[in-house]
Amino acid sequence: MAKRPPITNNVRALREARGGMSQAFLGDAIGVTRQTVIAIEQGRYSPSLESAFRIARVFGVGLEDVFGWDAE
Amino acid sequence: MSFREKSASVMAILMTSAALYYLTLFSAASRAAGTTAPSLAIFIPYVIFVVAASVVAQVALALFSPKEASAPADERERIVEHRAGNWSGIVLSVLVVSALGNFIVYNDGTLLFHLIMGGLMISQISDYIFRIILLRQSL
Repeated sequence: MAKRPPITNNVRALREARGGMSQAFLGDAIGVTRQTVIAIEQGRYSPSLESAFRIARVFGVGLEDVFGWDAE
Repeated sequence: MSFREKSASVMAILMTSAALYYLTLFSAASRAAGTTAPSLAIFIPYVIFVVAASVVAQVALALFSPKEASAPADERERIVEHRAGNWSGIVLSVLVVSALGNFIVYNDGTLLFHLIMGGLMISQISDYIFRIILLRQSL
């Protein structure tokens, strides 16, 4: 099994805080599939910088409010 | 399961079946004619059948998920495709070099043809398997 990327995120929490925005809606908004949104939420995939900015813009927050760095 | 994972799974099954069919087809022809030389009368219909079956399988999958089928690969899927293509290319290289080594030792051009044909099939099957694995694990 490949090692998980060290980047953490709050995508799921932010989505749920926005009235339960669906993964498919978020995927369409940032130009990725629902499966990629699931992979991001589960920490199995770190999005590109462009997609990271797109996600932050969809939620109307800063990049560091969405993504963090897991030093472990 | 995403459309691309379904597509890779179906194609892996189809190509594995095609490879096994190729093996039985040419071993039967070899036993009947006493030679293993590739026959165009068998080979051309075989290739047409495999291509037609692949098209039918892809169209059937697309009918069930038209939106996903027409969407281009996203950034994660492109990474998966590139990585799987790279690894399957290594598989093909190893098999072709092995086939060439076999030709140098045994000087059997017919066997070389079948080994390279087999290498192409195994490489393609490995490409689909790598895609399925990579789509499921961390990138």
